[in-house]
Parts: sequence; C-alpha cells; structure tokens
Amino acid sequence: MDHNIPSTMRQIGLITQFEMTKRFINRGGMFALAAFTLVWALIILFPVERASSLLMNPSFKELVNNLAGPETFNQLFAAPVAEYAVLWCIALYVFPMFSLFISADQFCSDKQRGTFRFLTLRVSREQLFFGRFIGQMLIQAVLIIIALLATFFLVLTRDSSLLLPSMSAAFFMLINLIIVLLPYVAVMAVFSLIAKTARQASTFAIVLWTITSIIISIINTQYPNLAFLHYILPGSQISSMINSLGLSALTFAPIPIIQTIILLFLGKVIIQRSAL
Amino acid sequence: MLISCQNLTKNFGDKKALNEVSFTLEAGTPIALVGPNGAGKTTLFSILCGYILPSKGKVNILGQQPGSRELQGRVAALPQDALLDPNFSIITQLSFFAQLQGMTAKAAKIETKRVLELVDMTEAANLKPISLSHGMSKRVAIAQALIGQPEVVLLDEPTAGLDPANAKKIREIVQNQSINSTFIISSHNLDELEKLCDTVLYLESGQLQQSVSMQSEQSTEYITLTLQQADFEQLQSTIGAIDSVINVKPISHDQLLIEHNKSLPYYIERALLDLFEQNQWQYKSILKGRTLEDTLFSN
Repeated sequence: MDHNIPSTMRQIGLITQFEMTKRFINRGGMFALAAFTLVWALIILFPVERASSLLMNPSFKELVNNLAGPETFNQLFAAPVAEYAVLWCIALYVFPMFSLFISADQFCSDKQRGTFRFLTLRVSREQLFFGRFIGQMLIQAVLIIIALLATFFLVLTRDSSLLLPSMSAAFFMLINLIIVLLPYVAVMAVFSLIAKTARQASTFAIVLWTITSIIISIINTQYPNLAFLHYILPGSQISSMINSLGLSALTFAPIPIIQTIILLFLGKVIIQRSAL
Repeated sequence: MLISCQNLTKNFGDKKALNEVSFTLEAGTPIALVGPNGAGKTTLFSILCGYILPSKGKVNILGQQPGSRELQGRVAALPQDALLDPNFSIITQLSFFAQLQGMTAKAAKIETKRVLELVDMTEAANLKPISLSHGMSKRVAIAQALIGQPEVVLLDEPTAGLDPANAKKIREIVQNQSINSTFIISSHNLDELEKLCDTVLYLESGQLQQSVSMQSEQSTEYITLTLQQADFEQLQSTIGAIDSVINVKPISHDQLLIEHNKSLPYYIERALLDLFEQNQWQYKSILKGRTLEDTLFSN
C-alpha cells in the first residue's frame, strides 16, 4: 500500500476537528456545555439585564463618576449597547476562569493512558500539540459566540434599532476575548503536559497565579521600577481593559500574544522531550 | 536495511535498561525479541517507536530516525499497556488514525472494517473501549497496528493475556500479513515465537546476548526426540553409537537432543525407528531441529 503522508496542515486540522468533537459530541462534553450555557443564561438574564438598565440610568452614571472619577468608566457609559458593556466586564473575568478548567485536560489523560503512543506513530508531537491547542481555542470561540448570541437576542428584544451596533460590539468582543484567552489556554497546554490529571493541571494553574502574584507584588513594593514584571502573568492587562471597548481594546493585544508565543514555545520543547 | 542499532544505550537513573546494543535487521520473515522480564525489550521497542530517546548510540528504521515524519504510517506498533480513548467508539478512533495516515474519511472507514475483520472484531466496531475485555482490547490494538499495511509492525507481547484460541488467531494474522509487513515480536512464549519467527534477538540485562537465525546453514544438525516409554540410559548410549551422531543430551525427563553430522537423508531417523522396534520402546515425536529454547539456552 502507498504511504502518502498528508500535509502538516491537514493533520493539524484533523486533530483540531477531533478535539472539538471530543468537547461537543460525547456525553461528558455535552454535560459541560449544558452547564456552561446554564451559567451564562443566568448571567445574561440577571446581572447583564439589570446592570445594563443601571448603566443607562443618568443618576447611576453620576454616582459612579463621583466615586471613581469621570475617566475611570467613561467608555462603559458611552457604549452604544449597554448590555454588551456589562457583558464585557463580566466576560473578561469569567471566560479566563472557565478556560482554565475547560482546557485542563489537553494532554494529561491521553499521556497517562498511553493513547499518545497510537497517535505519535501517525503525526508528529508538534502537530499534536498545536492541533489540540487550536482545537481548544476554537472550543473557547464557540462558547464566547454562544454568550454573545444570547446577549444579542436580549438587546434586540429591548430595542431592535440596535441591530448594527450590537453586531459590531459582538464582533470586537469576540476578537478581544479570543486574544485574552490565548495565554490561558497555552498555560493549560503546558501544565497538562506536566500534570498527571486535569485536576492536577488546574491546581498548578491556581498555584502559578497565587504564588506569582504574591512574588510580583513583593518585588513591586521593594522595586517600583520593576512594575513591568506583572505583565509576565496572563491576564495582567484585564483590569486595564475594562474601560476600553471595541477596537481600542485591541491596543492591549500584544501582551497576551507575546505571552502565548513564549508559552507555546515552552510547550513545544516539553512535548518534544517528554517520554511517552 | 530494516533496522540498524549501534551501541544503543538507555539509562533510567543509575539503571542501564539497554547497554551498548548493536544489531542490524533485514526486512522479511517475522523477527523475535526474546528475554526475561526487565531485559530491556520494551525499552528497545519504545526507542524504535520514538516514544523515548536513547541516552547514547544510533538507531535507524528504514533509513530514518525513529519518530521522524518520513516514518509516519510506515511503522506501526502494539505498545504495551497503551489504551484507546474511552470516550470514542473503536471505529471512530481507528478511522481517525487511518485519516491521519492520509486516507479519506470514506477510505478510512473501509480500512478500519478490514483490519477489524482480520482480528475477528467486526462486531465490536461501534463499542467503546471500556466495554471490551482484555483480550478484545488487545485484538483491537493489533488491528490499529495493521491500518494501511505498514512496512514495519512492532508487537510488544501480542498474545499475553489471550486465551489459546485467540493467541492462535493472532499467530495466523502475523503469518498472513508477513507478506506485506515485517513483524518484530517480543514475547516470553518461546514456543509461539518458534512457530512464527526466523531471526531471534535475545536480550538479557540490557545486553544483546545472541542473534540467531533458526534457518541458517550449520555444520551439524539436530533431532529432538520425545519419548513415551524407554530405558533412557540404554537409549542414550545406543543412539550415541550410531554413525555420525556427535552428542546425545537429555533436555527434559522425556526428551533427548541428538546432535549429528550431516548424513544421508533420514539415516538417523531410520536408525532410531529400528532401535525402537527392536527394544519395543514407544516414542511421542521425532522433531527435526531443536526448539528455540534449546537453541538459546544450549550452553
């Protein structure tokens, strides 16, 4: 039989596709998706709807400006679609947290079970690594789209004239959130290569964020000139992003992109050297 | 050349799992890898499959480094203790492997059905790995190694844990598929390897002790005689007196190994049958050659 090795991109595509099937088709994945949808339904129906009404209330805007200063949340109050402004604030914190758990088992189970040994005779370790990472990012993108679509319908039920501004807000939010999530999923790719179980990978993530935050805070107190160090940690730019919606939020994109490149390089080295 | 290893060494901490192992193998009939537990068989397989890197030495399969892109789909393996993903059906996973090897989705399904049929597991195609017994899982894992008729198939303990009927079935598959692929089989079961393999590599304590060919031309020949009832001592001395017999050695309570010079065809066999008739001795079998066990452990 002829042995026509498929192109690298086709093999990565197949791995990506299989990874997404794992999340969305099988029973465990379906339960996780249902839980995710339920949580977001509650977030959108209650905090987003209520908070957006507040955001549109001039007296609330005055109160916040008096408390936090006029420049702190001006972009949020100026947002054409209040629901997306509120969703933005929640999504910036909730999605990264979700992503840590959803992408915790990119490699550990397969490595422990020996399933990798069947795969690495057919694809390279790098293809496996990047295929799965892209698959996980696409899963995150689908989850973001679900939340954005739900908000979209919420907005249209209030005011159908907001169709175009909603679409624009949803599009930029999707791009920005995907970029924000890149280093989180990359960190979990690295941890799931080292960890024995998904739970252990999640524990590593919690330890990383806690310990690194403490160390950076201590260093910053002693040496204020080293304030840039906090950019080491994924998500360090999130608090600054809250008051920058749409296109302007993309100015923060270089930080997570650089973090992702470094993490993916690290992951590539680890998968190349590890025993299967 | 199929495989070449030069001074292959693998250390796990202070322990040398492989120690300066060198050999070359040619494509063709199945090759056996024999040795006691901890001899380094699985370590050698893992290096050949690219699962682990050697600490020292060189290794080549089909002229390439193990794990290289050029070997994708050309080298297959039944790795020891490796399990399929419990979340997907057998057919989904094996079809996925076939697609990774370059087949279209449709061709991959057909190929999966073909290999499952070879191991008599067609009925399990839609089952998930978790619902299979140990023996069934092993057969499915062997089926995945046959996808796309790879040039080299490494089977690590393929019949361990299988019932005799299934073990026989696996031996038949290896024999039949040997036309397309060169099988390298590790096992403790010497009788089984003897039935399948010509070349035998014997590993012990990480070192290659022997590399023998069962079919190779030798100056002396052997007959293994199994008896049912006879005066062993008298028989041994009488056989020793036959022309061209060099040595007669008991190898078990009912077996004698006769080493003899090349003589006229069936000369020794005829002499033995005459002897049995004269003395009313009963024999069970007269085997031309010697068992793999005797070949490896005769000294």
